[in-house]
Amino acid sequence: MSSRLTRARRAAAGLLLLGALGACVGPAREPADSLSGLERDETVVVGRVELVPPLRKDEQKFKGIVIGDLKNKMILITDDQYRQLTEEPDMSDFAGRIEAKLGQTFFVRSHSKPFFILGGMLYLDLGGEEMNRAYFPGGLKVSLKPGEKAVYVGTIRYHRNEFFEITKASIVDDYDRANAEFKKKFGTRYPLHKALLTPVK
Amino acid sequence: MKHRMWLVLGLITLGLLAGCASSGPTRNINDPTNSLVFGYIDMDDAPTKVSSAWMVQVAPPSDTPYWGLGVSKGLFYNSYLPLGSYQLSKFGGSGFFAGQHEYMFPRQGNKTALRITRPGIYFLGAYKYKKVKTGLFSQGKFAIEKMSKPTEAELLKRILEDDDIKGSAWAAKIRARLAQLKS
Repeated sequence: MSSRLTRARRAAAGLLLLGALGACVGPAREPADSLSGLERDETVVVGRVELVPPLRKDEQKFKGIVIGDLKNKMILITDDQYRQLTEEPDMSDFAGRIEAKLGQTFFVRSHSKPFFILGGMLYLDLGGEEMNRAYFPGGLKVSLKPGEKAVYVGTIRYHRNEFFEITKASIVDDYDRANAEFKKKFGTRYPLHKALLTPVK
Repeated sequence: MKHRMWLVLGLITLGLLAGCASSGPTRNINDPTNSLVFGYIDMDDAPTKVSSAWMVQVAPPSDTPYWGLGVSKGLFYNSYLPLGSYQLSKFGGSGFFAGQHEYMFPRQGNKTALRITRPGIYFLGAYKYKKVKTGLFSQGKFAIEKMSKPTEAELLKRILEDDDIKGSAWAAKIRARLAQLKS
């Protein structure tokens, strides 16, 4: 829960926040457009995030100037080392994030070494005077091996209620659809390996 | 000078709005599908008292999801909520030195989440405002802690003092609920 002063002091705080965000948040994992542009130690990670039921139009409210396209987008917080997110993530936690449009397959470049999805975050209210986020459980390992150009990790499916309580989370194997999209996007020269996300024990 | 004028006008307006007035969509107080939803917040440790309160309807979808609550000395209530899912959204208050404040509730993990599937009387609970320490440049944070006092019965008796409630179908229902709580 947050409290705030209105008007001038809030605007000043907002400017400070914007400045701080610009300075400290590391980049997201880049979307992959071609396999030929990959470095030798890079892999394309292919997956998807779904919300059940999907977001209603009125459930995400963005006002004023919002930097970046965050509509209908889940931010997956990642790290090379597994750890539990016990508090609100700070700015440094967002480096190397995966920005996944809900219900759409993502293709992102990554170092060819395992990493962990610590959790997900979705902006519900953003811009103007509002900032409200929903968090989603993580604790998932992405198993990548050197030499694999592309790896399918599965669909993370979050079930939730109207209060954004997560009632169920599962990993769904939708390889055939992802592979069809992969071939259409990148051709057939390289196979799409399958290594579904696994819960960290 | 101009700013002071606005402040004075603002304070007068707030004064007029304070008390038990609620805003947002309204319905006939005697509609049989209404529910009475109420609670209490102790703001002794907050920068200001509460002079306005809002609930948000999260289901079913609505073009006017924010429902104003009547506020009186920590007590907040609405006597005409239709069936649906709700939670506290925002408190507002102002003080001469503290300025105007808004206290925002999260949309996820909100302790006041309420699903109304049958018209009735719903007590959200009594809470105390607790300040949460943050950094110098961070947005202020707070938590609410559940309290055992004032009780549901004590608050219902206070709601019964409202003239609108007294003259409505709620009076009998509240008395019935009070009798139930006594037994």
